Amino acid sequence: MSRSKLYQEEFHPSPLQHTWMEFKENHIAVGGLCCVLFILVIVLFCGVLAPFDPLLQQADAILIPPAWQPNGGIVNVFGTDALGRDLLSRVMHGCQMTFGISILLVLIAMSIGVSVGAIAGMSRGVRSSVVNHTLDSIMAIPTLLIAIIIIAILGTGLVNSMWAIALALTPQFIHQTRDYVRQECKKEYVQAAKLDGAPPNQIFIRSILPNMGEILVVQGTMALSIAILDISALGFLNLGAQAPTPELGAMLSEGIEVAYIAPWSIALPGGAIFLMMLSINLVGDGLRSALRNRLLH
Amino acid sequence: MLKVILRFFNLVVLTLLALSFFSFILIYLFPGDPLTNLSGIANPNPQQLEILNQTYHRDSAFLIQYWYYLIDLFSGNWGLSVSSGLSLADEVARTLPASIELSTYALILSFIIGLPLGFLAGLRHHKTTDYALLSASVLGYSIPVFWLAMLLILGFSLQLGWFPLSGRISLLYEVPRISGFMFLDIIWSDIDNKSEVILDAFRHLILPTLSIAAFTTTVTLRIMRRSIIETLNSEYIQAAVARGLTSRQIIMKHALKNALMPILPILAMQFTTLLTNAMIVEVIFSWPGIGNWLIQAIYQRDYPAIRVGMLAVSTLVVMFTMTIDLLLRLIDPKKSKVERVAI
Amino acid sequence: MLSYCGFKLNSKKRLLQNSFIILFCLSLFGCDALLNANNQSDGVIYCSEGNPTSFNPQLDTSGTTVDASSHQIYDRLLDFDGQTGNVIAGLATSWLISDNGLRYTFQLRKNVEFHQTDYFTPTRAFNVDDVIFSFDRWRLKDSVYHNVSGGAYPYADSLGLGKLIERVERINTYRLEIVLKQPQSSFLSNLATDFAVILSKEYAEQLEQNDQKDLIDRQPIGTGPFKFANFRQDSFIRFKKHNQYWGDSIQTEQLIFDITPSSSLRLAKLITGECDAMGLPAHSELEVVRQSKDLILDEKPGLNVGFWAFNTSKPPFDRPEVRRALSLAIDKNALIEAIYFDSAILAKNIVPPTSWAFQTEQKNISYNPSAAQKLLRENGIEPGFTMSIWAMPVERPYNPNAIKMAELMQGYLQAVGVNVEIVSYEWSTFREKLKQGNHDSVLIGWSADNGDPDNFYRPLLSCGAIKSGTNRAFWCSEEYDALIDQALRFTNNEDRQYFYFKANALIAEQLPLVPIAHASKYQAFRKNLVGFEINPYGGVKLAGVTKE
Repeated sequence: MSRSKLYQEEFHPSPLQHTWMEFKENHIAVGGLCCVLFILVIVLFCGVLAPFDPLLQQADAILIPPAWQPNGGIVNVFGTDALGRDLLSRVMHGCQMTFGISILLVLIAMSIGVSVGAIAGMSRGVRSSVVNHTLDSIMAIPTLLIAIIIIAILGTGLVNSMWAIALALTPQFIHQTRDYVRQECKKEYVQAAKLDGAPPNQIFIRSILPNMGEILVVQGTMALSIAILDISALGFLNLGAQAPTPELGAMLSEGIEVAYIAPWSIALPGGAIFLMMLSINLVGDGLRSALRNRLLH
Repeated sequence: MLKVILRFFNLVVLTLLALSFFSFILIYLFPGDPLTNLSGIANPNPQQLEILNQTYHRDSAFLIQYWYYLIDLFSGNWGLSVSSGLSLADEVARTLPASIELSTYALILSFIIGLPLGFLAGLRHHKTTDYALLSASVLGYSIPVFWLAMLLILGFSLQLGWFPLSGRISLLYEVPRISGFMFLDIIWSDIDNKSEVILDAFRHLILPTLSIAAFTTTVTLRIMRRSIIETLNSEYIQAAVARGLTSRQIIMKHALKNALMPILPILAMQFTTLLTNAMIVEVIFSWPGIGNWLIQAIYQRDYPAIRVGMLAVSTLVVMFTMTIDLLLRLIDPKKSKVERVAI
Repeated sequence: MLSYCGFKLNSKKRLLQNSFIILFCLSLFGCDALLNANNQSDGVIYCSEGNPTSFNPQLDTSGTTVDASSHQIYDRLLDFDGQTGNVIAGLATSWLISDNGLRYTFQLRKNVEFHQTDYFTPTRAFNVDDVIFSFDRWRLKDSVYHNVSGGAYPYADSLGLGKLIERVERINTYRLEIVLKQPQSSFLSNLATDFAVILSKEYAEQLEQNDQKDLIDRQPIGTGPFKFANFRQDSFIRFKKHNQYWGDSIQTEQLIFDITPSSSLRLAKLITGECDAMGLPAHSELEVVRQSKDLILDEKPGLNVGFWAFNTSKPPFDRPEVRRALSLAIDKNALIEAIYFDSAILAKNIVPPTSWAFQTEQKNISYNPSAAQKLLRENGIEPGFTMSIWAMPVERPYNPNAIKMAELMQGYLQAVGVNVEIVSYEWSTFREKLKQGNHDSVLIGWSADNGDPDNFYRPLLSCGAIKSGTNRAFWCSEEYDALIDQALRFTNNEDRQYFYFKANALIAEQLPLVPIAHASKYQAFRKNLVGFEINPYGGVKLAGVTKE
C-alpha cells in the first residue's frame, strides 16, 4: 500500500546524489560499474579464488586447450601455457597485478599532482608563463612515451616502470587541480573564507578540496585506464614486469611464442586487459556525462 | 601577433636547450664510462682515448663541454651505436621517417573514417545511430593496440594469408634510401616494375596502419561528435533556424565549418598518440621505425643510442605540439591554449 | 585569418576527395593483386635466427655465423658428401697421404674465380697462395692477419690444429703439401668442416695496403656460390649470385637472410610466404609445419648434444659427488618432453647414437630426488644453497629453449632444497662471460661439424679447450686427454672405440657435465623451393636452391 502524499515534499538531492541518479540512468555505464566491481573482487580475493599457484609448473600438462575446446580439460578451465601453468590462475593474478598496480599508481600520481597543483594554484609566483607552457607541452606528450623515455634512462623492470608511469600520470592532475583552484579562488565562498582570515592551506583543504571530489574521480578513471594500458604495454615490450611475473602484458608477450599453436594464450590475457579497459572507460564515460547533465540542469 | 611568435621562439629555444642539457647530463647518469656513452666506442685503446678526449674536450670545464656537445648535436655528429657501430645520426635518419610515415597514414585514415562518422553521430544526437557509433567507439579506444595488432596478424596474415606481417617491403626489392619515405623513394628510384613494388609496400602498410588507426579513429569520432553537438546547440545556429534556413544550408554553411575549426589543432595533436602507438606496433610488425630501434637499444643497453633516440623523439613531439599551439594562437588569439577536450 | 582557415579546410576537402579517388582506383586495381603476393623478383629468402658476429667462420664456432658465411661465401679444400659423410673433393681435386700418415699432398682446382664486388676486383684466379694464407692466418701467430678481429680461432684451437701442423708448403701454383707432427686420423675431416674456409690473399693484400685489415671479416671475399652485398644488423644480409662460380649448381639471382630471432615469427613468415625457408623451427611448432599443406618439414638425426655443464673450477662444483647429486635431482625425460616435444632422444653420454663411438650399454642417471637430497646433505649442501644456472638466450638445435629448461630445472632443484638463479645475457655477451668462468653451471650444447667423434670429445672436455672457450665445465683431466690423444693415433674405428669407451666411463664417473638430449635437426621450407636439404655436417647450404 502506498501512502498518498499529503504534502508535496520537495526532494533536493545533494550534488553527489544527483550525479548518481544521472549515472544510474545510463545502463551501459552501470554494466561497466558491475564489471569493475567484479574485477575488484578478483583483485582482492584472487589468492583464495585462483585454483592454482600462478607460478606452479606442471610438466605433464603443457599447452592444454581451454575447457570449451574439444580436447580441453575441466581441471584447467582456461587451459595452460607453454610451461604448464594454469592460465585461469595466471590471468586472475595478472588482473590483480595490473589492476592493483594501476590503482596504486593513480593514487600516487593523484596525491602528488593535487598537492603540487594546489600550491601552484594558490600561490601567485609560480604563474610564470614558462611553467605554464612547459606543463602544457608535457601534457600533450602521451604518457606512454614519457614512460618509455624514463625507462630508457632508469633501466627496465617492474619497479622502474611503476616510477615511470606514476611520473608520467602526474602532470594531468597538476594541471587539472591548478585550473580548478584558480577558478574556485574567484568564487564568493573562497573569498569569504579568505576574508575570515583562513590561511591558504586551510582554504584549500576545508573549502576547495571537498568540491573537487567528482572531478578527481572522473580524472582518476581516465588516468586508471591509461595506467592499465601503459603498464601492460610496458610489460608486453619486456620493459616493465619480467617473466615469470603474472602481469597481463608480460603474459601476452610470452604467449606470442606459441600464438599459432595456442591462440588462447594471447586471447585470454589480452581479453582481460580489454575487459578492464572497457569497463573502466564505460564508467568514466558514464560519470562524465552524468556530471555534464547535472551541471546543465 | 609578433609577441606571440617571439614568445614561441623563446620557448622553443628554451625547451630545446633543456632537452639537450638533460641528454648531456645523461652521459654521466648512465652506467659505464661517460666517454663511451658519448662516443659509442666501447673499450677504446689508449690512442683512440686520447683522440676522443680531444674531440669531446673532456678536460675542459663542464659547461664548455656542454657547449661542444651542442655544436656536435647541430653538426650531426651524434656518436656511434655501441651494439652495431653505425652512426647514430644515420640510424635516426633511417628510422624516424619510417615512423612518421606510418603515423601520418594512420592519421589520414582515422580522419577519413572518424570525421564523417563523428559528424553523423553528432547530427543524430540521442538517436540509435549515435548510440551505436558511440558504443563502437568505446570498444575502439578500450582495445589495447598491441593486442589488436596481434589479432589482426592472427586473422589476416596467418589464417587468411592476405597481408604480410613484417617490415616495410619485401626484402627481395632493393629500394635505395633517398628521403626515407617508402613511396617517395620507390617513385624516385630507378628500379623496374615500380607498380609491383608500390603494391608490395602498400600491402605491408595495411595491417600496422589499421592497428594504430583504430584508437585515433574513435577519438576523432568522439571529438567531432561533441563539437557538432555543441555547435548545433549554439545561439547563432538557433538564430539561423529562426531565420528559416534549411537544415542543409545550416549544416553545410555554418555548423560544419564552425565545428571543425576549433578541433583541428586538437585532432592534429593526435599525431603524438599515434607516434607512441606506432612505437609499440613497430615492434610487433618488425617495422624499421624509431620505436623498434629505441626499444632494441633499451634491451641491449646501448646508451648512446638511447640518449639520441630519446632526444630525437622528444624533440619531435615537443616541437610538434608547440607548433600546433602556435598555429592555434595565430588562428584564434582569444584561445589561450589547446584545451584538453573530454572525448 | 579566416581566409587562411578556409584555405585549410578546402585543402582538407580536396585531400579527402583525393584519398577517395585513390582508394577507388586501388579497389579497381584489384583486391586480388592486393591480397595475393606475386613477387616477380628472383631470389630466395631464408629466415635465420640471429646476427653473425662476422663473415669469417674461422673466428667463431657459433652456428649463426657459420650459416651466414661458410657455405654461402666460401669454399673449402674438401667437402662432406651429404649422404654418406665421406670426404669429397672441394677446391682440392685430389689428394695423397704418405704411408706414415704425416704428409698430405693436395692437387688444387684450376680456374676458380674469386668474387668481384664493388669493393674488390680480382686480377687472378684461386691458387695455392690463398690456401697458405688462409691456413697461416689461424696457424701462425706472426702472420699479418693473425691478430685481426680479435685473433682468436676457437675451432682450430679447440682441436689443436695449429699445433698439429708442422708446415704448409707450396709445391707449385696448384699443388700443396701439409706436413703433420704426428699422424691424426681425423685430419681430412677437419679440413672439410665449415671452419677450414679459403680466403683471398689478393684481397687481404689490398686491404693491408689501404690499412683496413679488419674489413676482411666484415666485407668478405671468397670463391663460394654467393657474394656478399650488404648486411644490416638485426635486419637482413643480402647476397648476390656469383656468376663465375666453378660448381655447376643452378642459383637464384639473390639470396637474402632475413634475421628473425623469434622462432614463432620465423614460422609465421614462412606461412605467409615472406620467407622461403627457415632455420631452427621450434620443436613445439613442428606439428604445425607437418600439417600445413604449403610447407615441408625436413628431418635428420642431428650430430649434437645438449648438456648441463658445471663449472668445476668453482667449489662446491669441483666435487663429483655434488655434481652427481644435482644430476639425480633432474628428470631428463620430463625435460625432453617439455622442451623438445619428444623430437629428441635422451642423452646418456656426449656422443649421439648415430656416431660409431656411441656405447649402447651406457647407463643413464635416473631421476631420484630422495637420493639426490641425501647425497647433497652428505656433502654439506644444506637447504637454501643458491646456485646459478646460465641459460642461453638463443635457440640452438641441441637446446631449443634453454631459458624455459632452466625454469623447469629451477622447480626440480627447489624440491631438493637448492635455490636457482637463472642468468641470461645477450648471446655474444653471454659467451664472453662464460669464457671468463663466471657461471656456476650452464645449459648449452655442441653441434658437431664432422662425423668424427673426436669432434665431441676434444672441444667439450679437453684441457686445451678451456682456453679456447669451448670447455664450459672448465674440467681438465690428464687421464682423459691421454685417452682421446691415444684414440687419434689409430685409423681403425674399432681400435679407437676402445679408448672412447674408456673416456665415456670416465665422464660418467666424474660428471663434469650432465648430457641431456640429442635433438634431431629440422628445416622447414615452402613447397615451391627445390634443392634445399639438411646438411648434417654443420651449417646450411643454399647453393643450388631455387624457387619453382
